[in-house]
Amino acid sequence: MNIGHTILAWALVLASTSASGNVFVQWTSSALLPAKELGLNDLVLSWNASVSTQARAARSQGYRVYVEMALNQAAAVSEIDASDFEGIIMHVRQSERADLEKSLPKLRAAHPGLKFLVLNPDGKQPQMKGSLVVKHGAVLEVSSPTAQPWIDTNLALVKIEQRSQQGQIPLYTFAWEGSSDSGNQTALTATDFSLAVAEAGAFHADLILQLDERLQKGLSKHDPEAWALWKQVLSYANFCSHTSDQEMEAAANVAVVVDDLDPTDEVMNLLARHNLPFTVLGPSDLKSSNSEGFDVVVVFSKPDRETSERIADLATRGKTVVLVDAHGSYPWQSQDATRLNEQAVSYALGKGKVLELSEPVTDPETFAQDIRRLLGKENVLMSLWNGLTTVAVPYHVHGEPVKVLELVNYAGEPLRVQVQVKGSFASIRYETPERPCCESLVPVKHDGFTEFVIPDLRIAGRVHLGTNQTIDSQPK
Amino acid sequence: MRFDKRRAAALVCFSLLMTSVGQSSEKQVLVYKRKYIMGTIFEVAAYDRSPEHASHAIEKAFQEIVRLDGLLSDYKPDSALSDLNRSAHFRAEKVPSDLYRVIDQAVQFSRLSDGKFDISVAPLVNLWKASLRGDGTPSRAQEEKVRSCVGYQKIELIPPNQISFRSPCLQLDLGAIGKGYAVDRAAEVLHSMGVRDALIIAGGSTIFAMGSPPEQPGWLIHLRDPSNKIDPQVMLKDGSVSTSEQTAPSLLGNDSAGHIIDPDTGRPLKTVFAVSAVSRTASASDALSTTLLLLGPAKGKAVLKSMADVSAIWISHEAQVETVIGNPQILLGGTLQTPLSLGKLP
Repeated sequence: MNIGHTILAWALVLASTSASGNVFVQWTSSALLPAKELGLNDLVLSWNASVSTQARAARSQGYRVYVEMALNQAAAVSEIDASDFEGIIMHVRQSERADLEKSLPKLRAAHPGLKFLVLNPDGKQPQMKGSLVVKHGAVLEVSSPTAQPWIDTNLALVKIEQRSQQGQIPLYTFAWEGSSDSGNQTALTATDFSLAVAEAGAFHADLILQLDERLQKGLSKHDPEAWALWKQVLSYANFCSHTSDQEMEAAANVAVVVDDLDPTDEVMNLLARHNLPFTVLGPSDLKSSNSEGFDVVVVFSKPDRETSERIADLATRGKTVVLVDAHGSYPWQSQDATRLNEQAVSYALGKGKVLELSEPVTDPETFAQDIRRLLGKENVLMSLWNGLTTVAVPYHVHGEPVKVLELVNYAGEPLRVQVQVKGSFASIRYETPERPCCESLVPVKHDGFTEFVIPDLRIAGRVHLGTNQTIDSQPK
Repeated sequence: MRFDKRRAAALVCFSLLMTSVGQSSEKQVLVYKRKYIMGTIFEVAAYDRSPEHASHAIEKAFQEIVRLDGLLSDYKPDSALSDLNRSAHFRAEKVPSDLYRVIDQAVQFSRLSDGKFDISVAPLVNLWKASLRGDGTPSRAQEEKVRSCVGYQKIELIPPNQISFRSPCLQLDLGAIGKGYAVDRAAEVLHSMGVRDALIIAGGSTIFAMGSPPEQPGWLIHLRDPSNKIDPQVMLKDGSVSTSEQTAPSLLGNDSAGHIIDPDTGRPLKTVFAVSAVSRTASASDALSTTLLLLGPAKGKAVLKSMADVSAIWISHEAQVETVIGNPQILLGGTLQTPLSLGKLP
């Protein structure tokens, strides 16, 4: 690289406004490898009495060290030597969110030299699901009408974190399934780890990756098998770490308005699995101009007077608003009602409409399909064929067409996926951790949409969409 | 007719009591694998003394399903079925033996059901599939045009391996039988490799039980119950069960789209039932469950009288139950669990 290129590269790094897809490693065994050897720099230690000693040792091995602690342990922050740590990761359960909002600003003010990150510990192991669940040598009953067996994804959780922790890149972790049955867990594979890393990267979130004891030992003992696995994981971590020169955000034209930010909400999980790009909003967001860009707004919170006027306004200007199980008296009810079925009534307002569903969503799968229908063919941002195990997230610069599509295949084996994206794109370039940037794919344009075929999506893939034949922006 | 059984897939559930690794005196080990094939998730749980052997056998079974997907898929443009759909109009085409066999079996079910089961409904399925994806309800004119292409009588089978379509627009869709056929072939592969006790599941909606878990009389399978009141179960050994159910009605619309099309009306089937059908082979249970859903209980029971080793149950959301009890029996209300001490569900 010549000096000019070097300067340009640094300028791009300095100009970057967002970075995500960072992998924090949780290492529990005593024999820690140097950061340079492990290939990742951010290390997470659990809070304990000797954590400062451990942190010092880890720092000397080249790590940026974070200590993870529960909110009720926060007082212990004053006991540590801040110079040994990069930051504190607050492990926060859903029920503690209100307390966090009060204590976090105080902690930040009291310890300006430390980064404070909020961790959602309630992630799921990303995986393709079957109808059978094998646990500790036994097959147990699974399945319910709302728990579709196809995939476990953390997309809804990330969307919720984006809403709750504005200003911080979502950070989550999960426990590997069966990890509580020590000694009986099926060996985790390179695909398991790579999928976890790929998922966080595709969702532009950060992940604390828990390394199982077997892998830690293997890496410490320089076992070739463990290192072959880890090298694949590292290639995914490199692929998924984003430093963008432009502020990219997830594109979405469905808004879900909720009072409770509950990641177990099956409606959001089903919207995610059906590849319906959505954003989570709180009731207060609805009152602001934040809801302008959505074609469908699904409201799960009971609207107050101001919110219901805002809903009426959105509908009048052409949006479809779905109000779920929110009985009451609202301005649109003075309009003529069309009964859709026993549970649903539609009110036409100006160019749009308000649909009232008189009961909670009993079938999230059907509800997600209904939302796709309500969007109308012309407003569907993207569609996937043969993509039952694939989740795709479109990104764009605000107000511009989709620029990047991140894809994750939970089946972990090469899959031919047909994709349709709203917009007219002349250049489609595809990259994966296995195949560096970029392979050109053939776009087929029709009716305002562009179709292309991804030949072999294994775990992670990234598609760059350009409106000109020339390269619009240089991917990293 | 339907293009797949995805709806029902999520709703069939299973419970089994299994021998933990190393617990049994015979040291039968359970190996479980899953793979995404044919647009759905196939799962195999197999007992064997050698986990390596069981694992290898399951991989071979999956390879067989992948091979069949390459023949029977209507999604893959280079499949044998896609070739046939492109070129067999008024012209006899040679086809691979597996494709011939599965079409032959499908036509037998069409005859048995007087055309209710019909693999030639593909054009109608595609029309309504587009409606499910938000394209709006098809017009009567569109429906009529497409209906003229449909009819199993227009499929001419010329033994041993040729097929011709007596229509300029006939198209076949094997979604109602192809997965069952693949499950049967996968079971053959497992058997040929010495695996005797295994469960093969295609998308949750079609299950084939080989042998039984160690020291158990069979594989206990809980069937789909839209009412959540009946809890039907079957103890399967060397047999198969499949479940069919129409797409759930829209929560926010008044349209009548659905993935199972009635060939008589050309429109999505309207039914209050989910149907589970038990038979000796997965091909038969797969085709039979769709057939029985389309026929309804009264006509369905009449068809089953002419068949051996079959059982079936229709259950509505309001817990209306209709059964045909053959061998093996479908039992209601958890009656299998207590006498056989199969353990409690978590």
